[in-house]
Amino acid sequence: MKILIVDDDRINSTILNRLLSRDGHPVVTAYNGRDGVALFKSERPDLVLMDIRMPLMNGYEAARQIKEASTDRFVPIIFLTAVTDDEGLARCIEAGGDDFLTKPFNRVILQAKISAMERIRQLHAVLRSQKEQLEKHQEGVRREMEVGQHLFSNIVRAGNLLDAPCLNHFSTPMSLFNGDLLVASYTPAGTLHIMLGDFTGHGLSAAVGALPLAELFYGLTAQGFSIGDLAEQINDKLRKVLPTRMFCAACLIEVDHRQKSIMVWNGGLPDVLVADKSGQIVRRIRSGHIPLGVAPMRREDRKVEILEMQEDYRVFLYSDGLTEATDDGGILFGQERLDALFDGQTPPERLFAAILHALNAFRGHALQTDDISLLEVVCARASEEPPGGQSHLPQKDIPPSSWRIAFTFSAQTLRTVDPLPTIINALMNLQAPSGQRERLYTVLAELFSNALDHGLLRLDTRTKETPEGFLRYYAQREERLAALTEGEIEVILTHTPHPDGGELRIRIADSGPGFDPNNVQSFLEGNLHHGGRGIALVRSLCTDLIYHGNANIAEATYRWTRS
Amino acid sequence: MSGTITVNRHENETSISIKGRFNFEMHSQFRTAYQNEIDGSVNKNRKFVIDLVGTEYIDSSALGMLLLLREEAGANEADIEIINARPEIRKILETANFQRLFKIS
Repeated sequence: MKILIVDDDRINSTILNRLLSRDGHPVVTAYNGRDGVALFKSERPDLVLMDIRMPLMNGYEAARQIKEASTDRFVPIIFLTAVTDDEGLARCIEAGGDDFLTKPFNRVILQAKISAMERIRQLHAVLRSQKEQLEKHQEGVRREMEVGQHLFSNIVRAGNLLDAPCLNHFSTPMSLFNGDLLVASYTPAGTLHIMLGDFTGHGLSAAVGALPLAELFYGLTAQGFSIGDLAEQINDKLRKVLPTRMFCAACLIEVDHRQKSIMVWNGGLPDVLVADKSGQIVRRIRSGHIPLGVAPMRREDRKVEILEMQEDYRVFLYSDGLTEATDDGGILFGQERLDALFDGQTPPERLFAAILHALNAFRGHALQTDDISLLEVVCARASEEPPGGQSHLPQKDIPPSSWRIAFTFSAQTLRTVDPLPTIINALMNLQAPSGQRERLYTVLAELFSNALDHGLLRLDTRTKETPEGFLRYYAQREERLAALTEGEIEVILTHTPHPDGGELRIRIADSGPGFDPNNVQSFLEGNLHHGGRGIALVRSLCTDLIYHGNANIAEATYRWTRS
Repeated sequence: MSGTITVNRHENETSISIKGRFNFEMHSQFRTAYQNEIDGSVNKNRKFVIDLVGTEYIDSSALGMLLLLREEAGANEADIEIINARPEIRKILETANFQRLFKIS
């Protein structure tokens, strides 16, 4: 240990020097305070022995300056003093001294004090390096968190959660990262998909699962897959990536303002509540499935609850962080307290705020123990477009070219897959007229579902006239589709380039018996009336629409101009 | 504050009873409890009974632990019965549709 002696008494200094050198310490000496400080800076000793009364600068001032110059490490200063009064000794400590040694020196005491200081010095060095490591680590974690948060917030912003006019939402994570993922996005047909996923646990480990989930949600929704498909594909993915003890309780909702339907797939989240204009609960959709990422999905696990959308409906979706929020005494907020708000006393438009208000009043200053999410779907606004339009996926612009594709779907195929996303993707990969995806999807979807629902499955749209009929229609559709063994649908798409765009001819033919030509008109009108805008919508989007045969062949021409 | 675990071993059956709060803090305790049984088991058909009679609270991490036990006890071949769950805990198990993966009685 390198030691600096600052003492104007040369005899003292020499004695000390000899004592210390004999013990193997390198020694440097100064004879006044000012030289002592300068030598301290140039020699960087590990310990200082400091006399008090000296010319040019006294020991107190030298000690103060040395301490000031050594903020990066701990350098013990031992005062060499003849004084033994309490006040004098206290002043040494005040000036920054760590200990004192009274003259005349005792060799044993000097050695003991030096080794005691050495131990303190080493302890300081260890603490210092641990602190530095911690700070470095903390800085690294902070940087990684920032990147993570950036990714996370971009994911949430990627969709329509924030700008869909029919949605109100509230989400508060208990830590930096939210284990609840709330996302919403429009399909090419203009229906809105919403998903709330609640991963096991909280914080970063829960949030990492959100990345693959959000990616699949947006990707599949943009391709027009149904929420049953989404649940199945997300489940497969999460089963592959999540450890066994982690899963995702999730609820998927599809709001279709054209078909006036709401579909719900609830796997492990609390009851989805539907209130009407009275502000009371008219429907409660319980969890009917195992959460995502636990078990392989069987066919019946894709089953969704369907309800007919009324203008005055408000749908409430929330995570169990809401019902399981606790007050100071550990009492749960509970489903009953939530349900009690739907007593008809609160106007429906105030329910969302009333729930949050009741929750905050109940919780008081209690610590949040789980992520809390709440979302409201205001059905009256379901048909309103978001300000920036629906599409958030950039589309590549391919120069118009000449091509033709034909698909034939057998009964077996129709039973097992929904071919629409495949058709639209083939079309988009070949041509991708920019900004036309939603319109093309709508035309294809309408014509295709006419061919399937009415041509092959022989469903009557008039069934949908009453609320019971509405549910019967979907039940019948599912039943007949599962039993379909014969028949096929042929789709032919022919594209011809024009100087400023192109023309797409769509021919969809089903092998069903068709309709009495005299009734074609009423069939089309029925579709117009009950299937939302249906055929009228197709007519408005296409330059022409003609039915051939017994109305089992539809031919439409769609023109587009390069933007 | 978390719960305590007691293990009772019979010939072909291991009963694990959880008192207090069954949450993420119980992870290593719960895992040790069943792993000793699985490792020391000559008989592959060992039955597990999870007794929740003294369980006051259960969170999603606890559901995850039950899934882990199921996986390690043979997944679809596992014989696991959850007993004595009080109504609010039973509701949590049923919301997750665990009755399809475990016997709940």
